Amino acid sequence: MKITKSLIILLVLIAAALLPVLTEAYFISVAITILTFMTLAISWDMMLRTGQLSFGTAGFFGLGGYTGIIAVADFGVDPVMGIVLGGLLAGGVSLLLGMAILRLRGLYFAITTMALASVFMVIIRNLHKLTGGPGGKIVYTTLFNYDSTKVYWLMLGIAVGTIVVSELFQRSRIHFAIDAIRADETVAKSHGVNIYKYLIFVFVVTSIIQGVIGSTYALQYGFVYPESSFSAHYLLLPIAMALVGGIYTTLGPVLGAIILGLSSEYLKLIMPYGHLIIYGVIIVVVVLFMPNGVYGALKDLFGIRKRRLEER
Amino acid sequence: MVTDLESISFLKKHRNVFLLIAVIVVVAIWKPHAAIYGLQRGSLYSLVGLPLSLTLGVVGIMNLAHGDFLSLGIYFVYLFSTNLGMDPLLSIIPVFVLLFLLGVVIYKLTVKRVLKAGHLNQLLLTFGISMILLEAMNLIWTSRPRSVYVEYSSSSTTIAGVRFGTYELLYVLFAVAVLIALQLFLKKTRLGQATFAVGQNPRGAKIVGINTGFVYLFVFGISVAILGIAAGVMVPRFAIFPSVGAAFTMKSFCLVAMAGLGNLTGILISGIMLGVGEAIVQSIPGYAGWSDIVFFGVLITVIMIRSLRRQSL
Amino acid sequence: MSILKVEGVTKRFGGLVAVNNVTMEIQKGEILGLIGPNGAGKTTLTNLISGVHTVSEGRIVFDGTDITLLPAHKRCNLGIARTFQIARPLKNLSVVENVMIGGLFGKGEKLRESRKSALKLCETIGLSKPDETLDKVTVLEIKKIEFARAMATNPKILFLDEVMSGLNMDETREMIETVRKIRNTGVTICIIEHVMSVIREITERVVVLDRGEILAEGPYSEVSQQHNVITAYLGEDA
Repeated sequence: MKITKSLIILLVLIAAALLPVLTEAYFISVAITILTFMTLAISWDMMLRTGQLSFGTAGFFGLGGYTGIIAVADFGVDPVMGIVLGGLLAGGVSLLLGMAILRLRGLYFAITTMALASVFMVIIRNLHKLTGGPGGKIVYTTLFNYDSTKVYWLMLGIAVGTIVVSELFQRSRIHFAIDAIRADETVAKSHGVNIYKYLIFVFVVTSIIQGVIGSTYALQYGFVYPESSFSAHYLLLPIAMALVGGIYTTLGPVLGAIILGLSSEYLKLIMPYGHLIIYGVIIVVVVLFMPNGVYGALKDLFGIRKRRLEER
Repeated sequence: MVTDLESISFLKKHRNVFLLIAVIVVVAIWKPHAAIYGLQRGSLYSLVGLPLSLTLGVVGIMNLAHGDFLSLGIYFVYLFSTNLGMDPLLSIIPVFVLLFLLGVVIYKLTVKRVLKAGHLNQLLLTFGISMILLEAMNLIWTSRPRSVYVEYSSSSTTIAGVRFGTYELLYVLFAVAVLIALQLFLKKTRLGQATFAVGQNPRGAKIVGINTGFVYLFVFGISVAILGIAAGVMVPRFAIFPSVGAAFTMKSFCLVAMAGLGNLTGILISGIMLGVGEAIVQSIPGYAGWSDIVFFGVLITVIMIRSLRRQSL
Repeated sequence: MSILKVEGVTKRFGGLVAVNNVTMEIQKGEILGLIGPNGAGKTTLTNLISGVHTVSEGRIVFDGTDITLLPAHKRCNLGIARTFQIARPLKNLSVVENVMIGGLFGKGEKLRESRKSALKLCETIGLSKPDETLDKVTVLEIKKIEFARAMATNPKILFLDEVMSGLNMDETREMIETVRKIRNTGVTICIIEHVMSVIREITERVVVLDRGEILAEGPYSEVSQQHNVITAYLGEDA
C-alpha cells in the first residue's frame, strides 16, 4: 500500500513539474494562482489545527509582499532573496505579536489577527518614503523577469515545501502536542505540554509561509499597492478552500484549492463581478452542513476508517 | 452579564465616569478641538459598540458581520432618503424595523445552529456572513461612494473661540439615549430581566422557565436593529461605500474588551476614551494618519494587561 | 519524609472562597485519602497543586522546590500527575495515543519510545485495544486511559480524582489492585473519593475538607468516628 502511495505522489509531482512544458501561458498562470492560494489554505489550516482561528493570512501575505518589493527596489536585493526576507519579516512580526496575544487566545487572538491587515495598511500608508504610501510601489526587476515557467516551478517548490512541513506537523510529536492542545488545553498542560510555546511556534511558521507566498506573488508582477496587497481575497479564499476540502488535514486544503481554483476560473466567465460572494456562501454552507469537507466525505465514501472522531 | 463590582471589568461604574470627565476637561484645556471631536466620535463608537456588547454578553457570539450590518443599514437609509426623500433621521424608524427582521431571519437560518457548535464554527459562520454582506453590497451598489446631503448636518457653532460641528452632538445624544434605553429595558421590562438572567446564567435561566431561545432571537435582532439608529445618524456626515462599517467591528470589540462583558456604561466611557485618544493623535501634526490604529494599540494593551492578570472576557 | 507541602493556600474565585488557608503535607510513598462533602474544595485543591489554577495566597513546595508560580506543564515535568474527576479523554486521538501524550510531554520521551512504553502501560492496566478510537470505548476503559495517561508522565505523585465512581464491585477491585501496584513502584498517591469502602481499604491516612477548610486528619478509622466529620459529611458508607 505504501509503495503505491509513494508512486502516485511521484507521478503527480512529475506531472505537475511538466505542466508548463505541456500547456500554454494561460493555464500556467491559473496553476500559479491555484498554488498560491493552496499554500495559503494549508498554512491557515495548520494554525487551525491548534484550535486557534487566525484571520491574519492577508496581513502577513501583504507584509511579505511589501518586504520583497522594498528589498528589491530600495536595497537592490535579488528577487529570490527578497522572497526570503519577506518570510523572515513576517516571521519576526508574528513572533512579537504572538508573544503578546497568544496568552489570551480564542476570540482575542482571532479578532486581533483580523485587524492586522488594516493595521499594516495604515502603517504602510503613513510611511511614504519607504513604502510609496497610498500609491503603492513599483519595481522593475521582477522575479525571473516575467518568465512564467520559472515562476511556476518556484511556486511548485514552495507549495511542495509547505505540504512537507504540514505533513511533518501531522506526523511528528508536534502532531500530538497540537491535537492535545486543540482537544483539551487543561489536559494538555497537565501532561507536560507547553501550550504557549507550541502555539507561538505554529503561528510563526505559518506566518513565514504566508510572507514567503506574499513576496513571491508581489515580485512576480513587480508592484505592491495597499488595497490589493492586503485584499480580503487572500483571507476569504484560503479559508473557503480549506473548509471545502476538509480541515485538519493537508490533503483537504490541497483539494479545496484545486476545486475552488478551477471552478472560480469558470465562474469568472459567467459572473465577472461579485463571484466572491460565492466564497462567503461556501463558508456558511460548509460550516452549517458539511463540517468535514470534500476530503472527509470521500474518506467516508471509500469506507476508510476515520481515525478522528467528529470533533465538533 | 455580571454587573456586580466583582465582575472582571476594567472600568467600574461611577469612579470611571468622574475619571472620564476629568480626562475630557484636561484635554479640553490642552486641545479643545480634540476634546469635542473625541467626545462626538467616541460616542458614535459607543453607539455601535453597545449592540455588540449585547450579542457577546447574552447570546455569547462574536458577530464578525457587525460592521457590515451597519454598512447595510447605511445603504437602507440612503435608499429611503434618495428614493422617498425621507430625512435620514426619520428613516431610522423603518430601517430599525427592517434590520430587526433581517437579524431575526439570519439568526433563525444560521446563527441558531451554531450556538452549541463551539467558537470556531461561530466565528467562521459570522465571517462568512460578513463576506456575503460585503460582496452583496459591492455587487448591488458598487464601491462608488455616495452621499446624502442634509443642510443642517453642516451647521457649526463657536464656543470660547473654538469652532466645532454641532450635528455630531447627535452622536452623543443617541449614544446616551440608547444606553439609558437598554438599561431601562434590562431592569424594568420582563423581557429585559429575562435577557439579563440569560446573560448571567443561561442554564439557570432555562431551568426557571425562561425561553432562552426567544431571548437569543430577540437580542440578536435588536442588536442589528440598533445599528440602524447609528446608520441613520451617520449618513449625513459619512461617505457611503460598502466597507464603511467594517472598521467599526474591530473598534466595537476593542470597546467590549476594555469595558468587560456586561458593562454597558463602560462601553460609553471606553468609546469616548477611544475617540478622544484618536482625536489627540489626529491633532499631532504629521502623525494624523496614525489615528486609525490607536484602537489596535489599545486592544493589544488590554490583552497584555488581562493576560498578566490572567483574566479574559 | 514529605514530598508535598501546602502552606496557607487560599483560592478565591471572585467572591467565592473555594479553598481557605489550607496547610497540609503529603508523605513520600503514602496513600493519602482526600475526602469531604461535595463542594468541599478537593478538586480545587488538586487543581491548585497540579497548576490548573494559581493560588490567591499561600505556597506550595514539591520535593524541595517552590512550585507556587510554576506553570502546569512544568509541574508535570517535575513529577506531579493527576486524573480528572469527569474524565477528559482526548477525542481526536486513539487509546494508545492518549497515553502517549503523557510519555511524550510529561516524561519527555521520543516518539518511538513513547509508543512502546504506552503500549506496555496499556497492557499492564488492561486496555486490550490500543488503536481503538474513542467513540467505541467503555466507561471503565476511559478511566483506565486517564490512569495510564497520567502514569505515562512518570510521576512522583499521582492525584486520582474520583477514579472509582461508576465502577462495579469487580472493576473497583481491579482498580484498587492497580493503585497498590503503582504505589509499590514508588509513586505517592493521593486519592479523592466518595466511595468510603475504597478509602477505608486502601488509604493509610485521610484528610477531610469541608467548605474549603481542613476539618480533620488522621487514619480513616479515627477520623470517621469524629463528630464534626460525621455531621459535616453524611457520606456513602459501603
